[in-house]
Amino acid sequence: MTHVETEQAKGEAAPRPGLYMHVPFCASTCDFCAFYQIKPTPGMIERYFDGVERELELIQPARTYGTVFWGGGTPGLLTAGQLRRLGGLVEKYLGGRRATEWTVELAPGSVTSERLEALREIGVTRVSLGVQSFQPRLLDALGRQHNRGQIDRAYERVRSAGFASVNLDLMFALPGQEEAEWLADIDTAVGLQPDHLSTYCLTFEEDTALWVKLSQGRVKLDPEREAQLYEATWARLAERGFAQYEVSNFARPGHACVHNLNTWHMHEWVGIGPSAASQHDGWRGQNVSDLEAWAAAVDRGERLTAEKTCLSPALLAEDALIFGLRMNAGVDLARWQAVSPAAPWGGVNALLDRMVADGLALREGTRVRLTDRGRLLADSIGAEVMAAFTAEEVVR
Amino acid sequence: MSSVPLTRNFCIIAHVDHGKTTLSDRLLEYTNTVSHRVLTAQHLDSMDLERERGITIKSHPVTMTYPAKDGQIYKLNLMDTPGHVDFSYEVSRSLAACEGALLLIDAAQGVEAQTVANAHLAFAQKLKVIPVINKIDLPSANLELCLKQLEDILTISSEEAILASGKSGIGIVDILEAVVSRVPAPRWTDYPQPRALVFDSLYDSYRGVIAYARVFSGSYKAGDMMMLMNTGQRAEIKEVGVFTPKMMKVDVLGAGDVGYFVSSIKTPSEIKTGDTITLANKAATDMLPGYKEVRPMVFCGLYPVETSDYEKLKAALGRLQLNDAAFVYSSESSLALGFGFRCGFLGLLHMEIIQERVRREHDVDIISTYPSVVYHIVTHGGAIAQIDNPVLLPDPGTILEIREPTIKASIHIPNDSMGDILALVMEKRGVVEHTDTLDAHRVMLTCMLPLNEILVDFNDRLKSITHGYGSMDYELSDYLVSDLVKMEILVNNDPVDAFASIVHRDKAEGKGRALCEKLAEIIPPQMFKVAIQAAIGGKIIARDNVKEMRKDVTSKCYGGDISRKRKLLDKQKEGKKKMKQFGKVSIPSDAFIKVLKTN
Ligand SMILES: Nc1nc2c(ncn2[C@@H]2O[C@H](COP(=O)(O)OP(=O)(O)O)[C@@H](O)[C@H]2O)c(=O)[nH]1
Ligand code: SF4
Repeated sequence: MTHVETEQAKGEAAPRPGLYMHVPFCASTCDFCAFYQIKPTPGMIERYFDGVERELELIQPARTYGTVFWGGGTPGLLTAGQLRRLGGLVEKYLGGRRATEWTVELAPGSVTSERLEALREIGVTRVSLGVQSFQPRLLDALGRQHNRGQIDRAYERVRSAGFASVNLDLMFALPGQEEAEWLADIDTAVGLQPDHLSTYCLTFEEDTALWVKLSQGRVKLDPEREAQLYEATWARLAERGFAQYEVSNFARPGHACVHNLNTWHMHEWVGIGPSAASQHDGWRGQNVSDLEAWAAAVDRGERLTAEKTCLSPALLAEDALIFGLRMNAGVDLARWQAVSPAAPWGGVNALLDRMVADGLALREGTRVRLTDRGRLLADSIGAEVMAAFTAEEVVR
Repeated sequence: MSSVPLTRNFCIIAHVDHGKTTLSDRLLEYTNTVSHRVLTAQHLDSMDLERERGITIKSHPVTMTYPAKDGQIYKLNLMDTPGHVDFSYEVSRSLAACEGALLLIDAAQGVEAQTVANAHLAFAQKLKVIPVINKIDLPSANLELCLKQLEDILTISSEEAILASGKSGIGIVDILEAVVSRVPAPRWTDYPQPRALVFDSLYDSYRGVIAYARVFSGSYKAGDMMMLMNTGQRAEIKEVGVFTPKMMKVDVLGAGDVGYFVSSIKTPSEIKTGDTITLANKAATDMLPGYKEVRPMVFCGLYPVETSDYEKLKAALGRLQLNDAAFVYSSESSLALGFGFRCGFLGLLHMEIIQERVRREHDVDIISTYPSVVYHIVTHGGAIAQIDNPVLLPDPGTILEIREPTIKASIHIPNDSMGDILALVMEKRGVVEHTDTLDAHRVMLTCMLPLNEILVDFNDRLKSITHGYGSMDYELSDYLVSDLVKMEILVNNDPVDAFASIVHRDKAEGKGRALCEKLAEIIPPQMFKVAIQAAIGGKIIARDNVKEMRKDVTSKCYGGDISRKRKLLDKQKEGKKKMKQFGKVSIPSDAFIKVLKTN
């Protein structure tokens, strides 16, 4: 196995469930943001803590959590004391062990020694810094609140605090961004020597400020340019020693994000907090995206779940393929055939063969994975996989 | 001597836009047949499609009362005539119901193709033609030229011309007086038995088929047993009436009258335009002249875009046929398009009108296949098969020859576009038989063209080459042997039956290439490699590739995104179901229309 596959195999065997906690607070709203987030007041933060405590109690999974991920919003808006308190709530559910991996997303502007110290103390192993760009002009355009100096200082502090793994989030295909500028951003990021990089192509999500601009024609979509940027990114990072293991994720050996791999392998995770998504105990769903409604519900001893879906073996297999193919090591079909022998594998195999024939995918033994060209088309491929599983499309 | 000296039956014939509708309205107004207000409202809400296209499909006869200068009160029946070559048989029947015709000529445009064609139809029916130079109020009116054209092209003495303006109400009395004095009184009134000519019919869901007819001899009243001479079909007359222009019941329709018949007949196809109505108890022996079975000339498949609309489409076609006996349809199915109907039309315009009605009035989104004419296929056994669907062409090995319908077209164009038009005619496999000078600036080309070649874009190109000044009229001519082949389009190696066409061998490659190119351009980029090929009997003559999709991936896809992502993919999948599937290739339904339009 290549090291990428070894990495991925970490997540492939059924692990302890992940714990995702959504911290729904932000100081202001970024232009491209589609997350549930609000400007906090002291009262709200209290409400949030009470809710988290209640919700964790409500679930009590048979097993303890293996990985923890604090995302947002901006977990870094919480004070060191609040972070400790939140950590304390989680600790009860780790079964006396340390989490295998405990990630916290931080905006560079919120990185202080006090906070980092608190995070180290509670057992956080991985910090993900929302850098997005090193270009002041583009940061500004994104409505981001930090500057280059803050990024460097934040990175310095995180590193010296001694976290096992540090990730930088970067964005490309920003309006007005030149390819050279983007590659320079990659180089700057690599120069900092992080362990992991996430590079996101700017996407336009409904209800965001950017979407509004796009629909007014002020920003243009250009799939060809985006494709080129993707390819340039992949090539540059490979040269720099970062192996791609998913469409947008690159790691140095040993640093792939276990929590996310766990998700893409269709294992279980519990989402805590307003708008957090969960998948465990045979269903998938999302908490209500409203702090007050969520808190009131968990107070009553109930989780307000939107779009609750039952997970059949066939649906899991379908999703394992759709989301698994986004990973460079692909999917082990044998495993899913065992999980769901009744799924329409004939049609699925025919699709995969056709993808192989057209240079979109590769098959080795029972594994199937996408080529670079295929990975750029992962959504269309996902739709085809979905069609093959629902077998509504009759192939003449 | 006519027994009904105080009746005049006439019609107005003109090239599109020369002012027929306006002038008719003016005549009705002047004779107080309808008030101006009613007239506008009535014309606006009926048949907006016809108005938009400047044509009339249904004939709307109307009876006016006119006290003439000679002191007598005349009954004037104005017949409306369909204004397009597709409906030339209907035109000829309307003309046959008259004794005279007003020939309108736009003073600023002069004689045009339809003017000539219509005049000839009127001469053929032995009608008294009264030339009217219309729109003389226009500053660009060129009376001198019009009068000269009248003599030179139509061989009508310019002395006879009436100068008028429907818009300004000039010449209205002159026209009415000319109708009274120049149009002969009703003919054939002394034929011993009753005869009435059906020139149109209307379907009414309560009363069944209402025949519009011109009575030549005898009289008809409710209770009589009528007989259709073509079929021998008998039916009791329930009601007779006239058009004021609303239908108004009368006791008796007599010789020279124009009116309607309600009978026990409920099936529109049983009363055919051109048939003669007589009475069963004193049946005529000779039909009125000119009856013809009309046969559809142009065929295409019509399919619902949404398969669930099949029944709705079927109902729509059924209803349209009730009022349009010339339109035929039967069910067919296509691999590419599913279940639909093979439809036959008198011509391209007729086809467009029906399609437009289905869309607009019946609200069904449809796809149409490549239009086809009716080919005569002579097989080795000597049998002749009529084929209107390229898919049904028999195995080439069994075919001795293929004959295609041709037309005789007269094309009026400005001199300076002569070169380009000749090239167009050549390109369309036409032969120019002769050219006639119309005036200092215009010529008329008479040519033979395969009907098939003018189906799609001939008229548009004629208009664009001549900057809108060219016009064309045609009549059907003979079936001629031609070197025709079936060309198929393969998408992803599967033949797409909807794109199959019969083409001349020499043009197959060019057409094939153009079709492939266009399809490759229209089909959205695909993730799989997709070849588009044109083939004749298995031999590939052209090919192109659909654009490959470059990037379609969502960057971020974490736990919270999975449900959302699934929804998006589901939408994508559903979106594809709405398209037509060829193997694994989705073709948007309007691709067919786009291809047809641009070819
Ligand atoms: N100036 C002028 N315009 C007219 C006259 N008669 C009709 N028109 C205009 O010519 C166009 C076509 O008229 P219409 O009666 O619809 O023509 P049809 O297609 O022959 O029925 C319309 O825009 C009319 O307003 C006229 O006597 N003088
Ligand atoms: S920091 Fe993150 S969650 Fe907050 S507004 Fe910006 S993108 Fe949205």
